[in-house]
Amino acid sequence: MFKDKTSLMMTLLKGRTLIVLVLLLIFFSVANENFLSTNTLLLLAKHVALYGILAIGMTYVIITGGIDLSVGAVVGLAGMIAGGMIQNGVTLQFAGVTLYFSVPMVVILTIVVGAFIGWLNGIIITKFGVAPFIATLGTMYMARGWAMLHSNGATYSSLAGNEALGNTGFSFFGSRIAEIPVGALILVVIAIIAHILLKKTVFGWHIFAIGGNEKAAKLSGVKVDKVKILVYIFSAVCAAIVGLITASQLEAAHPATGETWEMNAIAAAVLGGTSMAGGIGTIGGTIVGAFVIGVISDGMVMCGVSEFWQMIIKGLVIILAVIIDQFQRNMEAKMALQARNESKD
Amino acid sequence: MGKFKKVLAIVASLCMMMMLIAGCGADKKAADGGDKAALKGGGSNIIYIITPSHSNPFFKTEADAAAAKAKALGYEVKMVSHDDDATKQSELFENAISDKAAAIICDNAGADATVAAVKKAREAGIPTFLIDREINASGVAISQIVANNYQGAKAIAEAFVEKMGEKGEYAELLGKESDTNAGVRSKAFHEVIDQYKDMKMVAQQTANWEQTEGFQKTETILQSNPNIKGIICGNDTMAVGAVAAVKNAGLQGKIAIIGVDGSDEAAAAIKAGDMTGTALQQAAKIAEMAVEQADKYLKTGSTGLDEKQLVDCIAITAKNVDKLKTFVYKE
Repeated sequence: MFKDKTSLMMTLLKGRTLIVLVLLLIFFSVANENFLSTNTLLLLAKHVALYGILAIGMTYVIITGGIDLSVGAVVGLAGMIAGGMIQNGVTLQFAGVTLYFSVPMVVILTIVVGAFIGWLNGIIITKFGVAPFIATLGTMYMARGWAMLHSNGATYSSLAGNEALGNTGFSFFGSRIAEIPVGALILVVIAIIAHILLKKTVFGWHIFAIGGNEKAAKLSGVKVDKVKILVYIFSAVCAAIVGLITASQLEAAHPATGETWEMNAIAAAVLGGTSMAGGIGTIGGTIVGAFVIGVISDGMVMCGVSEFWQMIIKGLVIILAVIIDQFQRNMEAKMALQARNESKD
Repeated sequence: MGKFKKVLAIVASLCMMMMLIAGCGADKKAADGGDKAALKGGGSNIIYIITPSHSNPFFKTEADAAAAKAKALGYEVKMVSHDDDATKQSELFENAISDKAAAIICDNAGADATVAAVKKAREAGIPTFLIDREINASGVAISQIVANNYQGAKAIAEAFVEKMGEKGEYAELLGKESDTNAGVRSKAFHEVIDQYKDMKMVAQQTANWEQTEGFQKTETILQSNPNIKGIICGNDTMAVGAVAAVKNAGLQGKIAIIGVDGSDEAAAAIKAGDMTGTALQQAAKIAEMAVEQADKYLKTGSTGLDEKQLVDCIAITAKNVDKLKTFVYKE
C-alpha cells in the first residue's frame, strides 16, 4: 500500500514540470480569453525559442558540471557581427576593398565567431584550469565589449540587405513558414539533434560521465578536455544562432541585446531537472522548463501583472522547482534503500 | 507520511502564488467598433502601456499617468515594462497584438530597434502612440510626443548663466554618447552659454546618465580644476551625483549645478540650495496627451495633430520648485 502510493507520487514528481506547465496553461486560459489561441501559442513558441535554444546549450554545459555565463553576450555579439557584415560589409584595409557576403555566408561566419568564443571558453577552462564560472564571466565581458566596439555602441538598423550586393533575405529567421515562426522551427531541430547526441551517442555518454565523476571518466579513457571544449563550443554556437534569430526578428542589431539572458537559460535548464552538480539532465526537461518560464512571462503580461510581481513569481517558481528536485532525489535514495532491505529479508 | 504534507504545503504555496495573479482579465467591456478609422485597434478595450522599468520614478510616473487617464476614459489597462531590452519589447508588442489591444502607448527601447515592432502592431490594426522617445521612422506610429529637450536645456542654461554672474570656469557632464538626447541637450546648453565670453568650459566628460559616474567624474574634475564655479549636467541623475561630490569637497552652495528631467532628488537639492535648477520634462502630461490622442483616434480615425509633437519643458529653480512633485508641475 505504502509502496503504491510512493510510486504514484514518484510518477507525479517526475512529470512535475510538465504538470506545472499544463496547470499554468489552464490558469492563463481562464484568466485571459485571448490566451488559448493558435496565434498566442505560436507566439509563445517563438518567444520560448530564444532562451530555449540557449538553455539547450546550457544543459550540455551544466551536465558536465560547468556553467556558461557568456551566452547572453554572445547573443549580442552575433547580432552585431551579422548586422555589421550586412550593413557595412567587411573592409580589407590592405586591399582597400569592401566585401559583402550573401546571407548564408553571413550566417556561417557569425556561427564561426560564436564557436570561437566557445572554443576560448573551453581552452581557458581545460588547459588553464580556470573555474567555468570565472572563465565564462571573463569571456562574457570580452564578448560584450567586442559587440560594443563593433559599432561604437550604435545600432545596425538596415538589415534588409541590398539587392545589388546580393545580401538580402536576412529577415528569414524572423519570418514564418506555414504560419510557424522560423525561430520555433529552429528550436525543434536543435532540440532533436541535441537529444539524439546526448542519449544515443558516445559523445553524449561521455558528457554524462564527466559530470558524474570527472576523474573516473578520465581513468576510463574519456578525452575529458576534448569533450568539454566541444560542449562549450556547442553552447556558444547555440547562442550565436539565437543572436541571428533575434536580430532578424527586430530587423536591427543592438550591442546590448541578450543582457542577463544567460540567467533565463540557466533557469530553464534547472526547472527542467538539470542538476547544477552535473551528471543529470535531459533536453526534453529543459524544453519544458523553458516553456514554463515562457508561459509565466507571456501569461502575466497578458494579464497585466506588474513587472515587480513577475520577478518575484519567477524567482519563487525556480526555487520551488529545485526544492522539489531535492525532495525527489532523497525519495529515490530512500526507495533504493528500502528495496535493498526488502531483498535482504 | 510527513513528506506528503510537505508536498501539500508546496502545492498550496504554488496555489497562493496563482492567487496573487488571479483576478486579472475580469470585467471586460464590449469594444464599440464600427468606426471607419485607418487602424481600428485589435478589437478589445485594452490599452497596453509599455515603458522602461518602473524602478525609475520617471517611467513609473508616466506609466501611472497614462493608466489613470485611460481608466478615466473607460479603457482596461495593462502596464508592462521592456527593461530597455528591444527583444523583450518586441515580444510585449506581440503579446499586445494577440491580446487584441485597442492601442499601445510606448516609451520605446531603441530608436531603430522599435520600428519593426510598431510596424507589426500597425499591420494588426493596432495604433501605437510613442511618448518620451522618438523612433527613426515616420508614418509608422500615429503620434510621437516628446519633451522639447532643446528648449528645456536652453531655458535652464539661462538660469545657470545668471547664477554664475556671466563669468567663470565650468565643467560639463555629458549623457550616454549613443543617445541623441545627450547631444541635443549639450548643444542647447552651449548655444546659450557660449554667447558669454567670460564663461569658460575647462572640462567635459561623459558620465553615461549615471549617478555614481557623475559623482566620480565630478570628484576628478574638482581635483584638477579647483577654480570651477559651475557644472552643467545632461540629466538630473548625474547632477545629483555632482552635488554629492561638491558637498564632499566642502564646496557646498559655491558651485552652480544644473540638470535636466525634474526628478524629486533634483527638486530636493534645489530646495536645499545645492543645485541651481533643472528642466522639467512633463512626463505625466505627455503620457496623458498620448492616451487622449489614442482615444480620439480610435473614435474618429484621426488625432487631428501632427505625428511629431514637442512638449515644452519647464525651468525649475528655487523660485518655483515647490510646485514640482514626481514629474508633475502644478500651478
